[in-house]
Amino acid sequence: MKKLIIVGAALAAFAAPATAQETVRIATEGAYAPWNFLNDAGEPAGFEIDLANAICEEAGITCEIVINDWDSIIPNLLAGNYDVIMAGMSITEERLETIDFSDNYFPPDPSRFVAAPGSNLDFANLTGARVGVQGATIQAGWAEENLGANNTIVAFSTADQAMADLAAGNLDTILADGAYLQPVVDASNGAIEFVGEEVLIGDGVGAGIRKGDAELIETWNTALDALKADGTVDGLIAQWFDGMGPFFSE
Amino acid sequence: MDVILNEIVLFAPAALFNIYFAAASIPLGFGLAILFAFGKASRNPLISALSRGYIYAFRGSPLFIQLFMFYSLALSMNVTHWKPMGIDWLVLHPLFLGPLVLVLNTTAYTAEIFYGALRAVPHGELEAARAYGMSPWQQFRSVTWPHMIRLAWPAYTNEVVFLFHATAIVYLALPVIGEQKDLMIRAKELFERDFNAYLHFPVAALYFLAVSLVVFFVFGRIYERLVRHLQRAPKMRYAPKWIR
Amino acid sequence: MLDLLPEWMRDGIGDDAAFWIGYLTNGKHLAWYASFQFTIFAALLGGTLALVFGLVGAGLKSSRFLPLRAIGDFYSAIVRGVPDVLFFLFFPLAFEQTVEWFVATQVCTPETIAASTSPWPPCREANWFLGTTEYLILASVSLGLVYGAFATNVIHGAMRAVPHGQLEAARAYGFSDAQVFWRFQIRQMWVYALPGLSNVWLLLVKATSLLSLLQIADIVLWADRLGAPNFLPAVGLVHGDWRWRYYLVLLIFYILVTWLSERGFEALMRRAGRGMLNEARG
Repeated sequence: MKKLIIVGAALAAFAAPATAQETVRIATEGAYAPWNFLNDAGEPAGFEIDLANAICEEAGITCEIVINDWDSIIPNLLAGNYDVIMAGMSITEERLETIDFSDNYFPPDPSRFVAAPGSNLDFANLTGARVGVQGATIQAGWAEENLGANNTIVAFSTADQAMADLAAGNLDTILADGAYLQPVVDASNGAIEFVGEEVLIGDGVGAGIRKGDAELIETWNTALDALKADGTVDGLIAQWFDGMGPFFSE
Repeated sequence: MDVILNEIVLFAPAALFNIYFAAASIPLGFGLAILFAFGKASRNPLISALSRGYIYAFRGSPLFIQLFMFYSLALSMNVTHWKPMGIDWLVLHPLFLGPLVLVLNTTAYTAEIFYGALRAVPHGELEAARAYGMSPWQQFRSVTWPHMIRLAWPAYTNEVVFLFHATAIVYLALPVIGEQKDLMIRAKELFERDFNAYLHFPVAALYFLAVSLVVFFVFGRIYERLVRHLQRAPKMRYAPKWIR
Repeated sequence: MLDLLPEWMRDGIGDDAAFWIGYLTNGKHLAWYASFQFTIFAALLGGTLALVFGLVGAGLKSSRFLPLRAIGDFYSAIVRGVPDVLFFLFFPLAFEQTVEWFVATQVCTPETIAASTSPWPPCREANWFLGTTEYLILASVSLGLVYGAFATNVIHGAMRAVPHGQLEAARAYGFSDAQVFWRFQIRQMWVYALPGLSNVWLLLVKATSLLSLLQIADIVLWADRLGAPNFLPAVGLVHGDWRWRYYLVLLIFYILVTWLSERGFEALMRRAGRGMLNEARG
């Protein structure tokens, strides 16, 4: 339930309070393309990896990307296995009770349903459908609350596994982040399409940081402000999300 | 104390899932294992080789990977096979697929136990039965079967307990539907909330221990019945000869 | 990888084959192949520790001193009564917490405890950071503890199976108790223990498939990531769900390891059985 390191070596050390010289460990999931994934070279890559590197360079700190399963990514942040989460994590009231977030680096993004063509799902009053979600996400909570009574909610440990089940016809629909689904729908040549209405959950995507780590949040926000102002964030969004934006620079 | 009691109550519904997985797979595995044990002992080279191969493959690989593989294999056949048959809702459900893989798994282990026992059936008695002119079916019913089951019972008891333990892996490999969570998932989930490793895992372990003891008790009573006519029956112990 | 080949060879294998060789040797696949080292390391270290714990446990179980005997019995009974996967997860997490708790009693002050917002560790300074190496070692110890309990039973039984006459004869020759134990009982015990230990080893090997549960990037995690469907050309080859093929490779790997282990143990048993009565051979 803990963490692994794909790049860089780990040293067992009792963590001293964060200082400028210390390595900041950034956890990501590595299975949520194009946000974060493992590329053909077997290394973490994607929008958030590029952004993390830009932030670390801007702030002049050494960073290390680690991969951690999504369902234990917050517990392991609290347990001190890393210092920052950058894993396409939406800022929500519920999460703010346990961790803090930096300013968002991706604007509020509606969640959307996808299905195979001709699914004819009646979203106004959905019953008896098999709805796939990734476990421990805002969509999982929303689906359980709003659709759970009349439908089957199936929780997968990665979003890719849910997509595999949808493609194989084991799910009627998937509820996930629009920005995750958009490239998939675009690349699917009509095999997967958006259905139903957009659902607004969450306040955009930010970096998760332990409560009380004020210094680190400050570092992140300062760097993000600079990168937003000079267009780096928008550039990366446009690069990884097929020309979306700009959102942050005037 | 209250905390522990609360925890025990909280885990009770989760334990039902583990018990269900074991109960759903043991009877079927028992029956299939007899077939495969005889298959492995068969003089027909093809049947023998197939049974051997099956038993070897399932005993030689981890259940964890078997579960992953069968889920994605079943998934890849969904559109082509299960959908046209209208059974897709069933095949991919963890409450069906879990026991299915457990059956395949326990069949191999149990067949190996039965095969070992089969080879230990005294030859003289079989010859005597044949001399009496018994049909193969009669030989099986009155000589082979009683010997085999008696010889295999202690090891089979261990296998049943191991299978129950193996149910802890099922939901670590298959998707979780709604609130259908077994002891492992429940313990993991609670641990990730408050990091109290010394509470959640031992309580889950307690359930596994308790059910194991019940299995030993029940199977021990059955064993006593099986050997009641023997004057010096070997005692049954929790000391497996063929462990998984 | 492919560009290492001489050109005539590259032409010879054709575009299709060349494509697949290239795909199967890309960095992601190489990382998968490299991750087999974790599995092998955990099996070897876990196996060695299981043998050590088994010998210690068997020693405790045959002790004449009741409390020691009780500890041995308790260890082998409780650990075997619990699923391996449960103990496998519990031990590293509990061990980490225990260490952190000890550290916390030394370094935490009421202020730092008050400043900590997470339920664990008590204060930030007491946090013990564990990486892949540490988890791999803890996982191996955990495997060693679980299967050491099985080995305890096997070795305990084997020690009692050594013919009494042998030990009495040794005593009659004037060997001390310690000499009888080490030179005769332990030496001869192997013949009886090897078949059981072979079973324990095979169980342990199969349990190494659980490493990914401790967030180690092992063969199972990579198989999942490699086989998961990919829709985006920017990420790599676009393909459907290939997971079962990757799992099949792992399945075959484990069957192969089982086969090799069986051959190895057969050779060991032949060696250990030299000069012994035939019936003693497993």
